[in-house]
Amino acid sequence: MRPIPTLTARRRGFLLIGLGVILLALPLLDPNQADIDIAANCTAYSALALGLNIVVGFAGLLDLGYAAFFAIGAYAYGILASYQLQPPWTPDWQFLADIGFVSKLTIEGNAVVHFTFPFWLMLPGSALIAACFGIAFGAPTLRLKGDYLAIVTLGFGEIVPIVARNWTSLTNGAEGLNGVAPPHAFGYSFGINSIPYYYVGLAIVGLLLLVSVRLRDSATGRAWMAIREDEVAAGAMGIHTTRLKLLAFAIGAGFAGMTGTFYIAKLQTATPDMFDLPVSVMVLVMIVLGGMGSVWGAILGAVFLSLLQSLFLPALNNAVQGFGALIGSGFLQQLQITSASELIFGIILVGMMLYRRQGLIPAARKPPLLTTEQMHASVTRGAIDLPVHPARHARGAKPDLMIEGLTVRYGGLHALKSISMRVEPGQIVAIIGPNGSGKSTLFNAITGLVKPFDGSIRFAGEELIGLRADQILKRGIARSFQNIRLFPQLSVIDNVMIGQHARLKSGPLGAVLGLPSGRAEERAARVRAMALLGMFGNRLTPRADQLVSSLSYANRRRVEIARALASAPRLLMLDEPTAGMNPAESIELAEQIGELRALGLTILLVEHKLDVVVRLADHVIVLDHGDKLAEGKADEIRRNEAVLTAYLGRAAAHV
Amino acid sequence: MSISRRSASKFLAGFAAISLTPIRSAFAAGETYSIGITLPLTGADAEAARLILNGATLAISEANDSGELKGITLKPMILNNASATAGQYDPAQAATNARKLVADGKVLANVGPEMSGSGKAMAPILSMGNLATITPSSTAPVITDPSAAGEFDPGGKPIYFRTVTTDAYQGPNMANFYAETLKVPSVYLLDDSGAYGVGLADAFGKQAAIKGIKVIGRDRLDPKAADYSATLTKIASTGAASLYYGGTMQAGVKLVKQAYQIIPKLIKGGGDGILSPEMVTAAGFPAAEGWYCTNASPHVIDDPKLAEWVALYTKTYGVQPDDYAVTAYDAALVAIAGIKAVQKTGKKLTAANVRDAIQTVKIIGLQGPISFDSHGDLSSRIVSVFQFHEDKSAPTDFLKQYRYIGVAPQT
Amino acid sequence: MITPIELFAQQAVNGLSLGAMYALLALGFTLVYGILELINFAHFNVFMIGSFVGLIVLQALGIAGQSVVLHGAPLIFALLLALIVTMLVCGILGVLIERFTLRPMRGVRGPMAMITTIGVSYILYNVVLLATNAQALNFPDPLATQDFDIHHVVIRAKQILIWIISLILMVGLDQFVRRSRLGKAMRATAQDAEAARMMGVDVDRVVSTAFFAGSALAGAAGLIFGLYYNFTQYSIGYSAGLRAFTAAVLGGIGNVPGAMLGGILIGLIETMSSQYIATKWADVIIFSILILVLVFKPAGLLGALAPNRS
Repeated sequence: MRPIPTLTARRRGFLLIGLGVILLALPLLDPNQADIDIAANCTAYSALALGLNIVVGFAGLLDLGYAAFFAIGAYAYGILASYQLQPPWTPDWQFLADIGFVSKLTIEGNAVVHFTFPFWLMLPGSALIAACFGIAFGAPTLRLKGDYLAIVTLGFGEIVPIVARNWTSLTNGAEGLNGVAPPHAFGYSFGINSIPYYYVGLAIVGLLLLVSVRLRDSATGRAWMAIREDEVAAGAMGIHTTRLKLLAFAIGAGFAGMTGTFYIAKLQTATPDMFDLPVSVMVLVMIVLGGMGSVWGAILGAVFLSLLQSLFLPALNNAVQGFGALIGSGFLQQLQITSASELIFGIILVGMMLYRRQGLIPAARKPPLLTTEQMHASVTRGAIDLPVHPARHARGAKPDLMIEGLTVRYGGLHALKSISMRVEPGQIVAIIGPNGSGKSTLFNAITGLVKPFDGSIRFAGEELIGLRADQILKRGIARSFQNIRLFPQLSVIDNVMIGQHARLKSGPLGAVLGLPSGRAEERAARVRAMALLGMFGNRLTPRADQLVSSLSYANRRRVEIARALASAPRLLMLDEPTAGMNPAESIELAEQIGELRALGLTILLVEHKLDVVVRLADHVIVLDHGDKLAEGKADEIRRNEAVLTAYLGRAAAHV
Repeated sequence: MSISRRSASKFLAGFAAISLTPIRSAFAAGETYSIGITLPLTGADAEAARLILNGATLAISEANDSGELKGITLKPMILNNASATAGQYDPAQAATNARKLVADGKVLANVGPEMSGSGKAMAPILSMGNLATITPSSTAPVITDPSAAGEFDPGGKPIYFRTVTTDAYQGPNMANFYAETLKVPSVYLLDDSGAYGVGLADAFGKQAAIKGIKVIGRDRLDPKAADYSATLTKIASTGAASLYYGGTMQAGVKLVKQAYQIIPKLIKGGGDGILSPEMVTAAGFPAAEGWYCTNASPHVIDDPKLAEWVALYTKTYGVQPDDYAVTAYDAALVAIAGIKAVQKTGKKLTAANVRDAIQTVKIIGLQGPISFDSHGDLSSRIVSVFQFHEDKSAPTDFLKQYRYIGVAPQT
Repeated sequence: MITPIELFAQQAVNGLSLGAMYALLALGFTLVYGILELINFAHFNVFMIGSFVGLIVLQALGIAGQSVVLHGAPLIFALLLALIVTMLVCGILGVLIERFTLRPMRGVRGPMAMITTIGVSYILYNVVLLATNAQALNFPDPLATQDFDIHHVVIRAKQILIWIISLILMVGLDQFVRRSRLGKAMRATAQDAEAARMMGVDVDRVVSTAFFAGSALAGAAGLIFGLYYNFTQYSIGYSAGLRAFTAAVLGGIGNVPGAMLGGILIGLIETMSSQYIATKWADVIIFSILILVLVFKPAGLLGALAPNRS
């Protein structure tokens, strides 16, 4: 099995090197300045698409004002490298003049400052400026649901060009910036020669590509995709969703800012009209075409659509008109295909969404097919051969869960009425009750997904109410969901690795720099995830690279448990873990849950199958209509009259 | 239908020539030269650009048919200055096109661009390539301003010629007209956020103040918005005696309609941006009645030659020409005149030689005599004033829906 | 000379009319959002199409330009016919858009469905752009000009008409959603589509109905826009749409009275900014308010109709 991936990896390597050589040699192969200029524009759009791909493709945030950051980067350089601002010269400017950022200019007898910030500094500088705008603007809005973000970004995309149009003293208004300085290198000015711009563009795309790929393959990338797939579950798995969304937004903005500087240096002029809504939409079309979340897809989409409008459509147009002239068809001679290019883009958008949502180069690579042996292998049981909770949990108070007077209301409806309960360390506590009795609400309240009206929830002595879901997970409480909330478009192993998110130390910067410590941690995380999957024998291990959406229902439940365990919890909360499993599978899982307790884990369980409850639970709590009806040992509960009428009676009537 | 061998090979050759532009010279064997036409042919500016395109191609095909080109054939090389990415004119696309023109080798001159925003991106490239462009409509003064030559004319020789005067004359001359002829005491300025409109209103306002007209206020319309009633109500409340609008018809249609309801009594005027068929077809009478507008060229409407030309244009393209169709036709005439002049001297037909010839060209265009000053601007700085007035006898004839008032006083 | 108070009142009248237009546009948008939690970007170009449909109907009736003024029964007949045809055509267009481009996207996570509506919106926009050569068109004006001057504050008959129509449509929609069987099914679907389905609600039908009603409203708004401003163009959907969005969010997205309130507020803010600050900053002020509202009161002024499900 091993040699196959190495071969494809080698082939990919050759492919990449070949592509790189062709790209580098392009100005030799085709010395036409116009063609190289088109290629340079392709690099600019590729860079934009890579940035938006992080926002929309990775993190799933629909940003319709992306061009605003492009504009900010463009104007940042444009203003700092042109004659636009000319404050009067004072000696205070001298230190900037010494390092070449400004120069002294005498206009009509007055000494003024001429800004000459170097292009090479402004490339990262503009990225930083745009990223700061991204943070300032994203911070208040990224708490909101994705739909709102789309509207707000639309508004922001409107505001920035309006400001550029109206703040005439800063931007020269509608007329636009004139005479933006071209880059200099080794005493040579790029001027209007498109070849050096092309190489700078290639370098930028290369850099952003590397950053994109490294982020994608890091814990940060996984966290983004988790947010994209299911924000609630991502939070419950210890991901600080707002912070990560903001990070994606800022990085995307940074890419756009850097591209803006490159673009304006190449054009040497900037007008507000260049950054209106169509730009944002077109970059979106590019990544939709290439494949949202797909790094190479973003580049392909950008290059294809740039070439479509600057080469293919005009060529087709000429060909059709020429053909019309030849056969004497006035209609064909007058036909303007290029006029329809925006229409074509709209059709691409809808067509891709309907028929090929994953784009031309799907982000998720096809998982290897299972071999026949693997598919028909007899099921084996695995064992847990790793410490379930890390040493750091050993400290501190006893990890018990104390709930007092917990009340949750939805509007006028009381979902939980002053519930009090206690879960001792090392116990398995089961919660039972009919549908709508408040079991899942209780889980949601403990894990910070709903805000209680009143009461307290203390874990290891610490109040949980008011904490975010990710903070609660970090305290050592992990859960599964009744209706399974895995990340369906991610692989099994990625799902489990996301469970470890809160435990991984290396951040996005380390990932971008490719630090060895980060790589080692990533490898260790993978090993640990595989070990957790191994708990279920050969049910999951051969399927580690499959998408979760391709798994059977029971296997998804198992993945969800493995994912919860990956966070190394002290308290594991399972919401109907055996739902959808046959009796044999249910018993198997029950035994495994028992083994987890033996490892020292505390377990809180919602379960409908009474045989499972009786087999496992040390303590049973019965909820009905938000009230605690009874609690006690499983056998006692079985004989409790109130429970029988309220729960089992009704359940029996249903059956 | 059968295709003979001859026509099939012609077909293939034609196809190759058309689809593989850089190789075209191999087939054309030195007889065919090109005149570039760079306009924003798609998106928001498409309609106006098409009228210009028609004007330029009409002149080129007439020149080819006339037999005065001594064995060479001129082909229009039409390049789209707009992109779907920008949704309108796109300076980056214009820069690419400028490089295409320079690199082609067979392009002798260019007609365009329509927008000054594109012009700024094209000028330095054309300057380095020593390729003349004649714009029929880009009026931003800065591009030919000698103090900005470092930015827009690094090659040193003027390459940006215009068959329209710049906003440096159109706005101020109209301000003179407001002051001397209309004798308005005060004015409120509006623009449409575009570079053209802002520049025009600025230039008007400056001269108006010099002429002693009180500039009561200045506002900027969002051309995409539909409702200007708040702005107009504000203008009405200031008691301004007149309104000057710098901008095009995108905002103009709504402004004219709503001004008719809210400020019917004010004297209203604008630049060449509102001397457009849309004033009649979209804004319509009675709203358009009484609006003054200008044209940055002498008035030649009574010339039967022009009437004939309008008829020809309308017949050929199925649409009525506007002013810029006239200036575009003239721009192409300038390019052709330059080429003929080079042929006459016997020099090699190159873009550089054509540029030198254009610099000294003196022709009679549709708009009257055309020649250029040392920066490339039109020597004639005549600004004509018109006023819209409905002619119910010929409601579909745009040219009858306004009347010539006179030449605006020059400063 | 107009006094400052009269000027303020005049601008309020202007703002109310503008706001009524935004509100009409926001109504249908908010209705669809309430049920599907989908931001339908195509809505605003359905509105634009509506104005063209109205134009075609009126021209077919021989009413063109500003010269034909009708009174009494012929006027009512012409307007009603135009209204009915426009609403029908746009309603059907909305249903088709839903059926063929959005139904396949239902249940797909993330921004996919929203992106699809952007695509549809772009297609509608560009088809009209190409068909009309990007030209603005003069819209027939069969209504006689009738102004009421109250202390220098001019109220035009058309303004009163647009207020009345907006009010009728809003109250009608509100009552429909509250009282009719289908309306109740809509609200049930909005609360929990899965539960509604289990209770025997035909969710597909509910969604189609919502799209029909929302798009028909957009069509009506398009016709009224044309009659009020006497022009139409391919681009009218975009800027009006952006403000209608803001109106819906301001009032509480998914909330019918909220859309009305939001629309009127946005209209007033726009005119007052023009009067007292500068027209050129009006957009910036509107969108800044939008952002502030989202930050401090994400549910909007009247609260969202549908709970913010997670």
